[in-house]
Amino acid sequence: MAQRVVKPKTNLGPGFWPVTAFIAVLSAVMVYLIESMPLPIGLIQAGAPADSIDALFRFLGAVAAVIFNIVVIYTVYFGIVFARPKGAPANTIGVQIHDAPVLEFWWTAIPTILVVILSIYSVKIWADLQNSQGDVLTIEAIGYQYGFQFRYPKLDKPIDEMHLQLNVPTTIHVTSRDVIHGFWIPELRMKADMVPGLINTIRVTPTVPGTYHIICSEFCGVAHSTMRHDVVIESQQNFAKWFARQGGSSGGGGGGTIPIAQGKVDLGQKLFGQKCSACHSVGPFDQKQVGPGLGKIFNDPAHPKLVNNDPVTPQNVAKIIQTGYQGDMGVMPSAQVNQLSNPDIANLVAYLASLSKK
Amino acid sequence: MATVAPGVPTGPYHAVLDHIHPEPTSFIRKYIFSIDAKVIGIQYMITGAIFFVIAGMLAEIIRTQLLSPHGAIISAATYNSVYSMHGSAMVWFVVIPLLTGAFGNFVMPMQIGARDVAFPWLNLVAFWIFPVAGVILFSSFLIGAPDAGWTEYPPISLQGPPGTNLWCVAVFLIGISSTMTGINFLVTMYKMRAPGMTFTRMPLFVWAQFATTPLLFIATTALGAALAALFIERVFGVPFYDPKRGGSPVLWQHMFWFYSHPAVYIMIIPGFGIISEVLPTFARKPIFGYKMIAFSSVAISLLSFSVWAHHMFTSGMVPWLQLPFMIITMVIAIPTGVKIFSWMATLWGGSINWKTPALYAAGFLITFTYGGLTGFFLAAVPLDYHEHGTYFVVAHFHYVLYGGSIMSMFAGIYYWWPKMTGRMYNEKLGQLQFWVTFIAFNATFTPMHWLGLLGMPRRVATYDPQFQFWNQFATYSSYVMALATVLFFYILFDSFRNGKKAGPNPWGARTLEWMVSSPPPYYNFKKIPAVLAAPYDFGNPLPYLGLDAAPGATEATPTSVSHPVPTY
Repeated sequence: MAQRVVKPKTNLGPGFWPVTAFIAVLSAVMVYLIESMPLPIGLIQAGAPADSIDALFRFLGAVAAVIFNIVVIYTVYFGIVFARPKGAPANTIGVQIHDAPVLEFWWTAIPTILVVILSIYSVKIWADLQNSQGDVLTIEAIGYQYGFQFRYPKLDKPIDEMHLQLNVPTTIHVTSRDVIHGFWIPELRMKADMVPGLINTIRVTPTVPGTYHIICSEFCGVAHSTMRHDVVIESQQNFAKWFARQGGSSGGGGGGTIPIAQGKVDLGQKLFGQKCSACHSVGPFDQKQVGPGLGKIFNDPAHPKLVNNDPVTPQNVAKIIQTGYQGDMGVMPSAQVNQLSNPDIANLVAYLASLSKK
Repeated sequence: MATVAPGVPTGPYHAVLDHIHPEPTSFIRKYIFSIDAKVIGIQYMITGAIFFVIAGMLAEIIRTQLLSPHGAIISAATYNSVYSMHGSAMVWFVVIPLLTGAFGNFVMPMQIGARDVAFPWLNLVAFWIFPVAGVILFSSFLIGAPDAGWTEYPPISLQGPPGTNLWCVAVFLIGISSTMTGINFLVTMYKMRAPGMTFTRMPLFVWAQFATTPLLFIATTALGAALAALFIERVFGVPFYDPKRGGSPVLWQHMFWFYSHPAVYIMIIPGFGIISEVLPTFARKPIFGYKMIAFSSVAISLLSFSVWAHHMFTSGMVPWLQLPFMIITMVIAIPTGVKIFSWMATLWGGSINWKTPALYAAGFLITFTYGGLTGFFLAAVPLDYHEHGTYFVVAHFHYVLYGGSIMSMFAGIYYWWPKMTGRMYNEKLGQLQFWVTFIAFNATFTPMHWLGLLGMPRRVATYDPQFQFWNQFATYSSYVMALATVLFFYILFDSFRNGKKAGPNPWGARTLEWMVSSPPPYYNFKKIPAVLAAPYDFGNPLPYLGLDAAPGATEATPTSVSHPVPTY
């Protein structure tokens, strides 16, 4: 086959090059349209990272459109021009060609290059998302059957409303109280599953004021379909007013003082059974469940430091209960997620101290 | 068999090969508890078709419910059971058993020139597990069917109705059946090929089954373990998955997808094989790039073991771990693309006889490409943050599962129907059925892409009223799909009554199953043939020796070449 010299062009089939030109023009038009249109049409970008995710979407869309044009138009075109003519004998055969190594090389190499480009672009956007700033405002969102609650710094209790501040990089830690839920704000193109026992994190920077929806995107039970919640993106002044109405100016939790001296051992013991014993035993350090045993926490020469490298003092233990821990050793939910008030924390510290004295 | 041909060892063992077991005579041993792979294949097909009809009706209940944003007909609780059962039945009781058990059993042994599979009794057991498991699955409707989707993520599946236990048992059983079939097929293909049928002379459908078997018996074990743990946790309270008691819900997701992503390829690679048989036969030319198509199936099969966590980008795992899963997922596009381009090149320069199987193969090319491309959108991690758990995903996997697997099965049934029954179907109705299915399918599932992107999550019984128009559009289109399916069964019924006698080889195909009468005799081949070459050279004489061919089964000598030779 390979040695046979045949004049090109005419042999590829009648109209091959016009069809190829048509594919090229159509693809160019579609790429132009895709790149110049806000996609998905009808869904606004309410802030970062919607813009970069949409840019990746348009880029992939353009590549996909070109490939799809090639496959569909050539398939239809081959199907028409190489259809057996009416009246041709039934044993008419086609061109007996088995392969064409050069062609096959290129249709393997070009998709490979495309995959490399698309991977690099996706990794770049991914890295931007991972490195994006979010820590100015940190919120915890907790899913339950069937709704969402939110914890803001300096608020003692979880609240049922979510407001975000315009242009403020925000970190949202999501988790769940019962089953897996999803936390999805389509206008921000961001989502994380709310998994009980895990804390997933997303970072957003809202830029367009308005009221949008948080939608549960993981099936969570009978009322899953109705599990949605408003999220308000508003200016700094409005946010401050709203936050004050929630009691945000009253101080208290967050960095507030923990009355360690007033901790009650019996209350702490009860709380420990409810909130801590799923992961921590009251045995020695090595009696591990999810986390270490805490029975000798204040009296253990082998472990003079907490997991965050702070020395073991009542203040530091209270602090880690309050902030939680996420790092190489694992995850411990914060007091907000565990729904522990400052007096609760004090009671727990008192209980742990009493254990270490035994 | 005195002929010595290049590459064909001959010798005294032919006497052994030519021994034919006597055919059973009792009705029960012949049609119910048969050990004949062809009968078992048809049994799989009938059972799978029954489950397909039931699961299809469930799909229409889903679509009817979504006519109204407030839910048109049933309560949310019932709806949840309906879609969970639709998914479970379609995946485990329709697509997987049909593509492996039905087509594999009927076609593969004949294509390799064998009389049966390696372990016929194992085959019998594997088949009979299937209807029993199906009855167990559907009987869960009596005690409260599972409601957490076909994926049954804990902890919600721990709260699920009692039928969830039956679901575990049924899926576990069908997993055992799959494992048996996988081992059986692998040994059959490895040990029982006719003399001279080297690996590179195997038909591509056989290659596809060959690439599928490791998935069947390796990946399924992970599912079995996960299901056993779920069952034990639900019934005996051992906390594998409940985070409140020290379990990990994400553990289930890893185990489940370690099976279920390879399962996606169990559901498509045999379909690739069907397309690779149909296209050369109807284009009257060799499959383009035989080796590339064969090896790319194996490549996809191997790669499919290392992409499972792309279902879990939002579930919570170490962020950097998302990257290898994303990149390997994208890499699978390369062998898949090679296949698609090779099939297009097979059409090029053909003398295409546009019969229904060929139309379905071409339709497959278009819809499967579409589904593959949207898969790319889901593989890219940042886009998945938006698209995960939405109707975009629903659209994507229906494009690959209906537009890929089911379309290829339609192609396969029309293609091998004359071989199974000895009768032709009504060609005009077949083509009509293709066009109605193709158009209605696209109209049903295309709108779901933008529904998902605009904010409609999956698995919802009610939805935002702004999405009503496109949901109604999809629902009415799905009714047309249902009509086309009714027409399909009418065509098969009509073929029994009015179909012309097919003869051994109505399509002029060249693989071995077409060299025997239709329907094939119990023993397939009176003499095991010797194989001289790959089967797709339409210009050459048939590459088989010693074939005791049925009359009229040979290929006519080519009399004209309709197109010039290529330029390269």
